[in-house]
Amino acid sequence: MAIGELLFEMTEWLRTTPLVEFSLWVSDWPLCIWLQSHFFAIPIFQAIHILAIAILFGSTLLLGLRVLGLNATDQSMVDNYRRYQPWIWGGVLALVASGIVLLISEPVRNMVNPIFWMKMGALIVAITVSLWFLGAVRAQAASWDVSPGGQASVRTGAVALIVLWCVVMAGGRWIAYAPV
Amino acid sequence: MNSLWTSLEGSTLGTTIASSEWLFPTIETLHVIAIVSVVGAIAVMDLRLLGIASRNRLVTAISRDTLPLTWIAFACAVVTGLLLFVSKATSYMVNPYFLVKMGLLLLAGLNMAAFHMFTWKGVARWDGTIAAIPPAAKLAGLASLVFWSLIVLCGRIIGFTLGIYH
Repeated sequence: MAIGELLFEMTEWLRTTPLVEFSLWVSDWPLCIWLQSHFFAIPIFQAIHILAIAILFGSTLLLGLRVLGLNATDQSMVDNYRRYQPWIWGGVLALVASGIVLLISEPVRNMVNPIFWMKMGALIVAITVSLWFLGAVRAQAASWDVSPGGQASVRTGAVALIVLWCVVMAGGRWIAYAPV
Repeated sequence: MNSLWTSLEGSTLGTTIASSEWLFPTIETLHVIAIVSVVGAIAVMDLRLLGIASRNRLVTAISRDTLPLTWIAFACAVVTGLLLFVSKATSYMVNPYFLVKMGLLLLAGLNMAAFHMFTWKGVARWDGTIAAIPPAAKLAGLASLVFWSLIVLCGRIIGFTLGIYH
C-alpha cells in the first residue's frame, strides 16, 4: 500500500531528528514512569480525553446544525451561541490537558509517529477554524434570523469544522496503527 | 453458546474484518466518532436535567434538540460495534470489561426508559423552572453521565485487555 510506504518513510525521517532523544528523555520523567507502571492510568486518561472531545464535538455539532438551520431553529442564534461557545473552549482545554498527559505517557510511540504529527496539524487547523467560526457566529448572531446575508461562509465553516474534528478523532485512533 | 461465538468469528464477515489490515481500525474510528457524538448529545440533555447548562431553554426543547442526533449516532455505534464484535467474538465474550460495558449499556438504557416512562410524565410542571426540577430527573441525568463515562472507560480498557483472558 502506497500510503503505508509513505508513512514508513516519514517514520524513518522522524528517527533522524532530535525527537528521538527528546522522547527518550521524557520516558525517564517520574510522571511517565508512574503512568506506565499503573495499569489503569492510561485508559483513565484516554477516557477523559474522549469525554473532553465528546463535550467539544457535541457542542460544535449542535451549534453547527443551528447555523445550518437544521436544529433548534426556535432558539435565537444569540442564545444558541451562548449555550455552546463556553463548552467548546472548555472542551478544547480539557482535550489539550489530557492530551499532554497521554503524550507524556507514551513519548516515543507518539513523537516518533507520523500520524501523531498529522493529528497535531489537523488539531491546529481545527482550533484556528473554531476561533474564526465562533467569532463570525458571534458577530452575526443578533441579526442572524432577521437579515440572512453573508452567511454562506459561516455555513461552510460549520461543515468544515465537523469534518475537521472527525479527522482529528481518526488521527487519534490511527496513532496506534502507524507502521513503525 | 461458545460455538455461536466461534461460528460468528469464523463467518465470512468476521474473517474479512479480522484479516484486513485497515478494516478493523477504520470501523473502530467510526465507532469512536459515533460514541463521541452519542455522549456529547446525551450530556447536553443530562446537564439540562441537572440544571447546570441550557438553563434558559425548556427541557422539552433540549430533548427535541438532542434526541435525533442521539439516536442516529447510537445506531451508528451499534452497527460498528457489532462489526468489531463479530471479528473477535470469542475474545470479547471472555473479556470481563466487555461484559461490564454491555451491562452498563443496559443500565443506561433502563435509566432512560424509566425516566421517560415515569419522570417525563410530569415535565410540564418543571419544563421551564430550574428550581422545580424533581430529584428523580436530576438523578436520571447524573446516572446517565456516570454510566456513559464508565462505558467509554470500559471501551478503552478492552483495548488493553483483549486477548489476555481465555
